Amino acid sequence: MTPHTDHILVVDDDADIRQLLGDYLRRNGLRVTQAADGRDMRAVLETSDVDLIVLDVMMPGEDGLSLCRNLRAGKHRAIPVVMLTARDEETDRIVGLEMGADDYVVKPFSSRELLARITAVLRRARMLPPNLQVSEAARLIRFGQWRLDTSARHLLDEAGTAYPLSGGEFRLLRVFIDHPQRVLSRDQLLNLTRGRDAELFDRSIDLLVSRLRQRLGDDAREQTFIKTVRSEGYVFSQPVVLLGEDA
Amino acid sequence: MTAQPHWPWPRTLGARLLLILAAGMLLAHGLSFALLFYERAMATRSMMLSNMEDDVPLSVALLEHLTPGERIQWLPRLERRTYRYLLRPAQPGTALASDRARQVVALVDDALAHRYALRPRAVSAVPERYEVELTLSDGQPLTIEVTPSLLPIAQWLPWVLAAQVVVLLACVWLAVRLATRPLVRLAEAADRLDVAGQDAAIAEQGPREVATAARALNALQARVAAHVGERMQILAAISHDLQTPITRLRLRIESLEETPAHARLLDDVTQLGHLVREGIDYARSANVALGTPVQLDLPAFLDSVVGDYQDIGKPVERVPGDRATLQTHPPVLRRIVQNLIDNALAYAGSAEVGLTVDAQGRATIEVLDRGPGIPEASMAAVLQPFHRLEPSRGRASGGTGLGLAIAEQLSRTLGGRLRLSNRAGGGLCAGVELGAAAGDEGGKRA
Repeated sequence: MTPHTDHILVVDDDADIRQLLGDYLRRNGLRVTQAADGRDMRAVLETSDVDLIVLDVMMPGEDGLSLCRNLRAGKHRAIPVVMLTARDEETDRIVGLEMGADDYVVKPFSSRELLARITAVLRRARMLPPNLQVSEAARLIRFGQWRLDTSARHLLDEAGTAYPLSGGEFRLLRVFIDHPQRVLSRDQLLNLTRGRDAELFDRSIDLLVSRLRQRLGDDAREQTFIKTVRSEGYVFSQPVVLLGEDA
Repeated sequence: MTAQPHWPWPRTLGARLLLILAAGMLLAHGLSFALLFYERAMATRSMMLSNMEDDVPLSVALLEHLTPGERIQWLPRLERRTYRYLLRPAQPGTALASDRARQVVALVDDALAHRYALRPRAVSAVPERYEVELTLSDGQPLTIEVTPSLLPIAQWLPWVLAAQVVVLLACVWLAVRLATRPLVRLAEAADRLDVAGQDAAIAEQGPREVATAARALNALQARVAAHVGERMQILAAISHDLQTPITRLRLRIESLEETPAHARLLDDVTQLGHLVREGIDYARSANVALGTPVQLDLPAFLDSVVGDYQDIGKPVERVPGDRATLQTHPPVLRRIVQNLIDNALAYAGSAEVGLTVDAQGRATIEVLDRGPGIPEASMAAVLQPFHRLEPSRGRASGGTGLGLAIAEQLSRTLGGRLRLSNRAGGGLCAGVELGAAAGDEGGKRA
């Protein structure tokens, strides 16, 4: 059996960037198809299996944001998307619920940076069975006395005061919320939590868990949210409720 | 050069108006009282003269008809407020000094039809007293002692006067306050006015002159804002359009074979990319879309920002400080704090982040470093876009000279301000002063 080669679809209206990216990704062992606009993209999606889409935000006609949104509403909704954006786009909106992209790089980016993101997103997509991506569907998630705003990346207490989370804490909490009542090992947590700065991020998961506990108001003796399972890992023990847009 | 004569002339408009009005009113008041007293003196005198004209001949005729014994009994009854009769020669004295006295003596002489030889003497000058001596037909001397005086003033009159002055001064003070308060408020509003035109305009109310000035200022602000906005849009457009060619350039260089020149080319493109990103950020910072504010827990917010730096291995520490929550826009505030931390990392290599709340409840986020600091003379200049203290150092660390300018601009957008100061013992303290916070019982963090 030949090893699976990931198939990347690069959508950009700039022919040179498309070509340069394609060449680079091919040199790094990926299969690449190029598309100049939304029509090309849909044509490719109809005829072949795509593992990940690299999508430029700034395109004439149908721009990347609406393409991404439509993609999430259609039958190809499971395909991960990495966006190429200019700085002035709101990156929070891109990866948030609104647009549903999995990650982004900011122009001008280096090809190495893009490759790292693609690899990380693919790895994450493999590790998460689709039916467990609970939190993708809601902007507000309730557990215990807290609500998590997945778009603004902060916790809200009962009075509505916001307690922002660091990137690492937020990703860790998302992993827990996506897998409530399931014991997750440190390795699993580390892999799922690694985010945009995978190469640089080498902080022990225990430290991150303790920071998140502190933020949630858990202490070591009374663990309401994240419980330690001896020699196995951690489990998120609170039931999770998805709330609507404006709950 | 001639030196300006130095008058103790007050500097505020209010004090000047108060001084002028109060002085004018007191003067006018004084004049009208002087007039009143003069009038009263005249009236009293003419009354006394006409009384004497009728009274003196009658009294003298009466005394002529009485025996010396009866005269003594009658004298008290003939006594008047300003003159009385005495059965003795006049006291020694000088000739009459005042015109008024001579006038009175002439009048008495006329009234008595010049039948008696009058011998007037001034007995005392202050208070004025003079005596007019004559000899009755039986040889007994009769002296008319005159003590001219005004009608006595009522006891309460000085108090009324004082009360009047107080009321006047109070009215003047009120008027001055009414006139200057709108001006002070206008000046305060103009001071707060954001030139870039984000905030609400100055309220066009108050007295008509002040409202007109407010309207003029608002119009000026609108013109300046349009101008600034246009410049910012041009900067944003240029920076934005540069991104695609720079991306192309970067990808092309990366696809080349690695040579020493290759690394330098990449450095240049990286630098170019930074500049363009910061240019866009700076252009956008003057007109950032805020959205709805949220009640933010500042310690948690700072923990999260510092946590992000620590997760990528940057030496950024959180120092214990006060607690506070604040109605604000977290993404904008995050950008400000990140810029200040980036600046500290670029110049000092590490940073500390703290929070203080002052007695008035104003929260200040402080980013502290132990770098070279900033010479006092350059404190304002470093907030200007594209300013860098040491070009070589800033460039080496990838700085573009826009970080502090963006932080300053965004701080103002949040209604706060950025303050830079050198720390005792070296290093820089960059403080973001925010509005009044809802303090958490002022509790200190452990």
